[in-house]
Amino acid sequence: MMLHRLIAAIFFIALMLVSVTTINAQSVRPPGNAVNQSTDEQIGTSNTLGPDSQSKYWHDLRQGKSGLSTTGRSGGLLIQAQGEQWRLIRKNYIIKYSGWVLAAVLVILVLFFLIRGKIRLKGGRSGQTISRFSLPHRTAHWFMASIFIMLGLSGLILLLGRTALAPLIGKNVYSIFASAAMQGHNLFGPLFIVALVWMYYLFVPGNFFKMVDLKWILKGGGLIGGHASAGHYNFGEKVWFWAVAIVGLLISITGIILEFPWLSANLQLLQISTIVHAIGAVGLIAFALGHIYIGTIGMEGALDSMTTGDVDVNWAKEHHDLWYEEVTGEKSATHDQGETGHAQVYSQDKITGV
Amino acid sequence: MSFLQIVEGPLFYIAAAIFLIGAIWRVIGIIKIGHKRDLAPPKGSGKVGFVAGNLRHFLPRKIFAKRTWVHIIAGYSFHFGLFALLLFAAPHIDFARDRILGFDWPALPRWGFIIAAQFAFAGLIMLWVRRFSDPVMRLISDWDDHIGSWLTFLVMLTGCLALQESHNALKAIHMLFVDVWLIYFPFSRLMHAGTFFLSRGYTGATYGRKGMTL
Amino acid sequence: MSAVAQKAVSKFLEFIDADIAAYAESCVHCGECAEACHFYLATKDPKYTPTYKLFPLVKAYKRHKAPLSGLKKMLGLVPAEVTEDELREWEPLVYDACTMCGRCTLVCPMGIDIAGTIRKMREGFVAAGIVPEGLSVAAANAERTGSPMGVTLKALSAQIVRQEKETGIKIEIDKKGADYMAILSSMEIMGYPEIIGAYAKLFKQAGVSWTISSEAFEATNVGVQIGDGKMAKMLVQRIVDAAEKLKVKHVISPECGHAYGALRWAGPNMVGKEFSFKVVHIIELLDQLRREGRIPAGEKDGRRMTLHDPCQLIRRGGLLQEPRTLLDDSCSDFIEMEGAGIANLCCGGGGGVSANERARELQMAAFAQKLKQINDLGDIDAVVVPCANCRTVFEDGLDEFEVDLEVVGLGELVAETLASK
Repeated sequence: MMLHRLIAAIFFIALMLVSVTTINAQSVRPPGNAVNQSTDEQIGTSNTLGPDSQSKYWHDLRQGKSGLSTTGRSGGLLIQAQGEQWRLIRKNYIIKYSGWVLAAVLVILVLFFLIRGKIRLKGGRSGQTISRFSLPHRTAHWFMASIFIMLGLSGLILLLGRTALAPLIGKNVYSIFASAAMQGHNLFGPLFIVALVWMYYLFVPGNFFKMVDLKWILKGGGLIGGHASAGHYNFGEKVWFWAVAIVGLLISITGIILEFPWLSANLQLLQISTIVHAIGAVGLIAFALGHIYIGTIGMEGALDSMTTGDVDVNWAKEHHDLWYEEVTGEKSATHDQGETGHAQVYSQDKITGV
Repeated sequence: MSFLQIVEGPLFYIAAAIFLIGAIWRVIGIIKIGHKRDLAPPKGSGKVGFVAGNLRHFLPRKIFAKRTWVHIIAGYSFHFGLFALLLFAAPHIDFARDRILGFDWPALPRWGFIIAAQFAFAGLIMLWVRRFSDPVMRLISDWDDHIGSWLTFLVMLTGCLALQESHNALKAIHMLFVDVWLIYFPFSRLMHAGTFFLSRGYTGATYGRKGMTL
Repeated sequence: MSAVAQKAVSKFLEFIDADIAAYAESCVHCGECAEACHFYLATKDPKYTPTYKLFPLVKAYKRHKAPLSGLKKMLGLVPAEVTEDELREWEPLVYDACTMCGRCTLVCPMGIDIAGTIRKMREGFVAAGIVPEGLSVAAANAERTGSPMGVTLKALSAQIVRQEKETGIKIEIDKKGADYMAILSSMEIMGYPEIIGAYAKLFKQAGVSWTISSEAFEATNVGVQIGDGKMAKMLVQRIVDAAEKLKVKHVISPECGHAYGALRWAGPNMVGKEFSFKVVHIIELLDQLRREGRIPAGEKDGRRMTLHDPCQLIRRGGLLQEPRTLLDDSCSDFIEMEGAGIANLCCGGGGGVSANERARELQMAAFAQKLKQINDLGDIDAVVVPCANCRTVFEDGLDEFEVDLEVVGLGELVAETLASK
């Protein structure tokens, strides 16, 4: 098991490195038409507001009709036409929708809390606990959480600040926030990779999908269709794990590209990276909001697993019955009885091996 | 006088004075409590033991390292990172030259600073995270532990956020936290930085007199 | 503050010297000490974290004695007074759950001597009258007879006569002007009297002139275990008086952990003067005689053996190498356990814990840790335990866990493997 996880972690890191280096290898271009001066059309400062339409101007640029340029890493390119597309995508889609997505998630969570309320333990707390997460698991989790929060906050300031913050606090004050956020984001970024690899290594066992997950989906995780059985991790948690692992990997790779832009000569790569990075991060933050909600005020007894590491026996039976049976070697009486599932049916003296 | 001028001027000097006087007062206060003279004939030297004890406790013992490796790695990572930042960050050296010492020494390059900061942050976060997720540390930790961790964290964080050195406001916030930290230090558990050598040394001296090899 | 708590706090403050002040100031609550404590290892209960056991004393220090505490008190930043309830809550932690083995000091990044501080802390508990019953009985016995088990001179004499018969060597009591005066622990006299015969045999061969005092033959110092300074001093004084009366040059401390520390290191400080004689541990003496060629080793014992390091002799007494040299000479198949020497695990019954009936369950759990350490070695025929108290703890524990393992004293083993003249 140990070896399996180690190999998985090494593979994970290798994948990250390989993808960064191969992308860079492809991106190295000779400085092509660096010294060529176009003669058939005049473009330059005098022409930007000239008789030619803006669309023609951009069209020509895209066709490679470059004018005066310098030699350098960006292939002697003075103006890169895709930059405008990037700017528009960023402004009109990413910034616009990411704000709405996050706001919508928050609204949904508030509504859910108001309607459904805190998911209580049906049988109350038994007072007996079983161990769910070891100290290394908890340490890795909170390490990741701390880094994630700092990166999330600084990242959102960078992404949405100009639209959402600057009008409120003024451009001068916002420039302070932006400077701080950029430094902080760059500083904590590499630590995210450390946290990600460490967490992946510790949490991957038990997070592979199984048949029981399909049943869990059909029952809507217990929200519809009665009790949904689950092992150590339920389907939702597995999705969260893989989202963090895969999207986290993408964010890490694009983050490295963005933090060390001199590694790459390809502007387009940087542009794509910012887009992937932003979409991935907003998605993860939205997911994280739900994760934080269910882990704290959303469900009674859930937070214990990450503070003391021990959860109440009734919590284990109600939410992770298969895991409970696996650990204690006894029936939890909950699963496959669906609707009933009254905690009263378990007698205390049956709990052995706890 | 601007906010920055206050926090790096008068307030800084007041804080530094409280820090120095308080810390020295406390260390001398401990030493002055004194000991009774040991009448048992010694087998070895207490003075040698004092030094040996101080050195020996820098190194973890193998038999415990298996269990306490997280603390060892995080602790060293944090402390080394912190001292590298404190002593070799270019703005710190400039500050020391211009305001206190009048001379300077080579600074870390920027990448060195970033790496040191990452070690320091990773270590500190890890140590603090264990304070509430390890049942043992949960039980024995008090508000002083948490305030100390957080203040140090905020000093480090505000310092790193000001890394672009383009806004006086960021520098001022950093200096404000530095001042608070300096004032808090002598009254708190942060003082371990000034008392650990006594603690290790006194035990080492007892061991030394008994002729024990540590 | 109640009168009871007041008594304890005054004693705490009286005993806080620069050492303890530095310890209280330096602890950063990292919790690593838990990983060194056999009571924590056995139960995983955080309350057995060694530094936690010191909390009432540290509170009293921070409120009343710490530098700058006056200023902090004005700002309301000192901890509250120690209450009687707290002391009662901590009493089992201080008495049942600490053998003062000092293993925690090794792992502590600040090098804090928690064991030594617990010893001083117990003075406060004794002053407040908050002590476990088992230990009070032992203390009452010691007060009456000088021995925690109530061993009388009559009982000792009977054992001596028996050993004389067995060995055919005359053992002289109260011999004036002898070089060495041996003292013994109650456990040895009652449980392992062969050690008296072993002394006779070894000293005869080495040509050492020795005696046993009829007035002070008991080495166990309950005062030190329970934390009663007055009684500890009385028991040490008794030995000092007898040694001075017989004009001996040395007093031999027996194979007993706390007895050695009590007499060798704490003794002169308790009676307030340097001794007119030297205190040597029997292991030290045997090692010296061996090196001088006065007790040459003979045929080695072939059993597979390991050595238990009694905390007060090895970790806190400094006799690290001597027992090993002796064992190498006496035993052909001697292997060490993990952490042997300074970091060895305690048997779980030191510091008065084995005399404390209430602590039995916890003590056995701690012994299970010790047993695991031995079992990890594979097949072992015997374990050498050079401490009478550890030895009874071992025999009791092995019995409890139904393990077949022989427990032998070091002195006897050396005597048995002596080269015949």
